[in-house]
Amino acid sequence: MTGIPRTLEAKLQLLDHQVIDVHGEMVCMVDDLELRPDRRGHLHVTAILTGPGALGPRWGGRFGSWITAVWRRLREDADPVPGRIAWNVVTGVDSGIRLNCARADLAIEGLETWTAAHIVTRIPGAGHESDA
Amino acid sequence: MKKMFALALGILTAIGGFVDIGDLVTNAVVGSRFGLSLAWVVVLGVVGICVFAEMSGRVAAVSGRATFSLVRQRLGPRLGFVNLCGSVAVTALTYIAEIGGVALALELASSINAYLWIPVVGLLVWIVLWRVKFDIMENVFGLAGLALVVFGVSLWALKPDFASLATQALHPSVPATEGTPTYLYYAVALFGAAMTPYEVFFFSSGGIEEKWTAKDIPVMRSNVFVGFPLGGLISLAIAATSMLVLGSSGIDVESLGQVALPVVVALGKVGLIFALVGFFAATFGAACETGLSVGYSISQYFGWQWGKFVAPRRAARFHVVMLIATIMAVGVLLTTADPIKVTEYSVVFSAVALPLTYLPILVVANDTRYMGAHVNGRLANVLGSFYLVVILIASLAAIPLMVLTKAGQ
Repeated sequence: MTGIPRTLEAKLQLLDHQVIDVHGEMVCMVDDLELRPDRRGHLHVTAILTGPGALGPRWGGRFGSWITAVWRRLREDADPVPGRIAWNVVTGVDSGIRLNCARADLAIEGLETWTAAHIVTRIPGAGHESDA
Repeated sequence: MKKMFALALGILTAIGGFVDIGDLVTNAVVGSRFGLSLAWVVVLGVVGICVFAEMSGRVAAVSGRATFSLVRQRLGPRLGFVNLCGSVAVTALTYIAEIGGVALALELASSINAYLWIPVVGLLVWIVLWRVKFDIMENVFGLAGLALVVFGVSLWALKPDFASLATQALHPSVPATEGTPTYLYYAVALFGAAMTPYEVFFFSSGGIEEKWTAKDIPVMRSNVFVGFPLGGLISLAIAATSMLVLGSSGIDVESLGQVALPVVVALGKVGLIFALVGFFAATFGAACETGLSVGYSISQYFGWQWGKFVAPRRAARFHVVMLIATIMAVGVLLTTADPIKVTEYSVVFSAVALPLTYLPILVVANDTRYMGAHVNGRLANVLGSFYLVVILIASLAAIPLMVLTKAGQ
């Protein structure tokens, strides 16, 4: 594990990278980043943003706003915010972004939860790794 | 001893798993119409798939990231998405062709109409995707696919003049009965069949399913550099037997039965049994690989958990994608689409989509930040760049040639 370098080239080393949880399971892509300036005006990464709510605006154009609009319509809350992973759970940055928590604790996988509950767990054998 | 066994198993699986419905049909068609005058394309394609499979396998082993994850990383979300759409469309088309191929093989063996087999095959493939362990799936179908060596035996039994076969293969020329555009069209098709993009999606993702690390690179290389070329020899044997038996009697290959005919002529019923087992294993194995590849590429683009190494409920979106793809493939085939025709189109569109897959692999394999000491050497880069040019030409020429020759008629 490489740890986190103090300065990162966000576009090259963070954006569109795979996020991996503490058990090695895949969480999401880094669809966008939340940046905050400090007092001296330097930008700091404060969170990883993910899901259609983050990808749509970054995509831009008609297709991007269409993605965002569909995502908003499908959410129950009046003013939905994109999936957010606070930067303080990140433990390493290499070919993927590693976290110190489990993916289930992040509560950002809406589609995964829905498909698991409504389709996959209703099929026999959903709880077992593939075996002979 | 155990290591040797693993090595041999890997190589044998690679040989048996190399051929799929695209190779079977295209080589038989080309053999009957062009003899061995297009053998050079098979060689070119096999070397090409070796170069890029090795590269994608090495990248997966070192970085732990499969091909599509890197495609998005390198190309960004928009261009990556265009790439995803193209690649998934071609892989899904290949998936349809493979499922149709399994049904045709079962029809040949049982005389029960292929369209009755299609839903059954769809269900069986899905059960394997849902439940069967990755290495068992790979080994069983790979080893059973070795039955296709029967084409090599048939070639021997037909007692051809090997010297004249070699002359024909080494001095390619367009046969008098065919036009140059048609010859080139089939060259592109054969190249597409050998280098089908799903093979690298599957190969690199499979490396992660099997938890490869840098230590596994030598084994991976032996599988690729020994197994794939030997698999390519099966392709050439199919073309050669097809030329000897079908070409001389002016039969056009329009069914899987005609692909098997040379084996029947050479070896009779026993040969046919081997050919049928081989057809079934090769197409069924490839159906699983293409089905998985559809799930792999979409999941990798979006960063979803994928893979057979976790329980389906932990990779729910991945399994839903494969379920939808399977239902769709069965649905398309049940419109009474001809699986042989679907196959012919799938290999040509594979050729069109080739640059989408192979350019990002070449770029990442050169990135020292990821690859460290395992970055591309000079040989890999020279070959990789050369193939990129060939791939680009094949890709650009595919559609115009298809229109010009009315898909090779």
